[in-house]
Amino acid sequence: MRHPSDGTLRRLLDEPVAVSDDDRAHVASCATCLTGLAAARADAAAVGGALRPGGAAEVDVDRAWAGLAATLATTAPAPAPARRPARAGRWRAALRRPAVAALGALVVVAGGGVAAANDWLPIFRTEQVAPVEFRPADLVALPDLTAYGDLEVTGSGEPETVPDAATAEERTGLDVPAVAELPTGVVGEPAYQVVGQVTATFTFDAESVAAAGGGELPAELAGSRFRMEAGPGVAAVWSQSSGLPALVVARAVAPTVYSDGVPFETARDLLLSLPGLPADLAEQLRALSADGSTLPLPVPADRVTSEPADVDGLPATALASRDGLLAGVVWVDDGVVTVVAGSIGTDEALAVARELR
Amino acid sequence: MSAAAAPPGVRPDLEQVFRSDYPRVVAVAARVLGSRDWAEDVAQEVFLSFGRSSVPAGEATGWLTVAAAHTALNVLRAGRRRAAREQAVGAGGRDVPDVADAVVAGDESSRVRAALARLPRKQAVALVLRHSGASYAEVAGALGLSVGSVGTTVRRAESALREELGNDASSV
Repeated sequence: MRHPSDGTLRRLLDEPVAVSDDDRAHVASCATCLTGLAAARADAAAVGGALRPGGAAEVDVDRAWAGLAATLATTAPAPAPARRPARAGRWRAALRRPAVAALGALVVVAGGGVAAANDWLPIFRTEQVAPVEFRPADLVALPDLTAYGDLEVTGSGEPETVPDAATAEERTGLDVPAVAELPTGVVGEPAYQVVGQVTATFTFDAESVAAAGGGELPAELAGSRFRMEAGPGVAAVWSQSSGLPALVVARAVAPTVYSDGVPFETARDLLLSLPGLPADLAEQLRALSADGSTLPLPVPADRVTSEPADVDGLPATALASRDGLLAGVVWVDDGVVTVVAGSIGTDEALAVARELR
Repeated sequence: MSAAAAPPGVRPDLEQVFRSDYPRVVAVAARVLGSRDWAEDVAQEVFLSFGRSSVPAGEATGWLTVAAAHTALNVLRAGRRRAAREQAVGAGGRDVPDVADAVVAGDESSRVRAALARLPRKQAVALVLRHSGASYAEVAGALGLSVGSVGTTVRRAESALREELGNDASSV
């Protein structure tokens, strides 16, 4: 009979009863296999020893749990306020997702608004992305716009899995980006997800603004509306066996905000002065939005670093988590925002971005 | 310590799962990183993800174990990238020792870990799970392998790592 494989010899060391009687009998009487088995045993023992971590074996579970509980308490979304719970809940749920959190910041800057009329004046069109340093607590503390008026959201923003790239293109009208060469460690075929267009209409309400400590609402803002549109979008997601995404390449129609007549600056300045927005952050947002074309991307400054980059001559923003686990790059081309991110390095994210087809 | 109400968006069984599986998750990450301190950082990340996931309770331990191996390997890889970058530009400038420094330091444990970071991801995870006490069936389930190919995968990984050890031994 032929010799059992190296893998069978290896299993013989760990789970001998799982190896067939025939194989065991062969190995016991075969000098070649016994030599192979001895080599496997020596390698396993040496590697096992080398992988053994140094230091005390005991972990302090109580202390570790306290640490995790503290992290959860500072990064979890705050409970929805009792006032208008349904809308606030929906708004805060949206803020949990980074992509939508970016839109959330945009809405704060420009005043999200909605309706479907031809007299809407485009006041904002995303042409580039610039990072804004946020602390996670700031994100949670963003003004809840439902306190200043009525916010109505159309479209769920929930991703839906589709079978293939062709279906994704058909559903979104977007070119699904194709990756030329996958980074090391990313394997297999991606899952495709699509998300429909999301629109939000925000209407200022004078009484609400006053009640929230925002002072007197300028007359021209009372009852004025803003409409924000974002999407549709498509994402190709390569998963690891753990379920964590190894690589995500996503593309979406970038957010655009329309006003029904109020100058952009008027709405923006009021929003920026509302309580709850840290003064330094407000200053950054004011500077970024001066030309109404920059999408501020909220970056948790204590966990993520950002730096300017370029993708095929277009300005881009490279992001990397400080723990080295995740990196990504985001840029806007002709009103379409593209993101490449995952458990990869910034250099790998840029390499993928520059080779997208 | 009694379980407080979980914050919104966090699964209610998180504390219970954390208390039963935390030592195992740290142990898996520590095999990859060689340091329990770094491993505890990884474990925090893993449980943070788990806390906001909807992984079925019955699959929690398996999910956490695999996530710990992947996350720790990512840290190792990121550390090596950083080390290579810093060597390339000749700029040290770090006052906190980390994985990158350890890999540069070049002792046996570090060489093994540098080799671990270079292994195909499937081999590396199979090796770490196996040496953390997972059965062949568990490793197969976690990696989408047939049970029969787990031994081959682990054997290849051990052989590659043993070469690093062999080099080290012969240089002493």
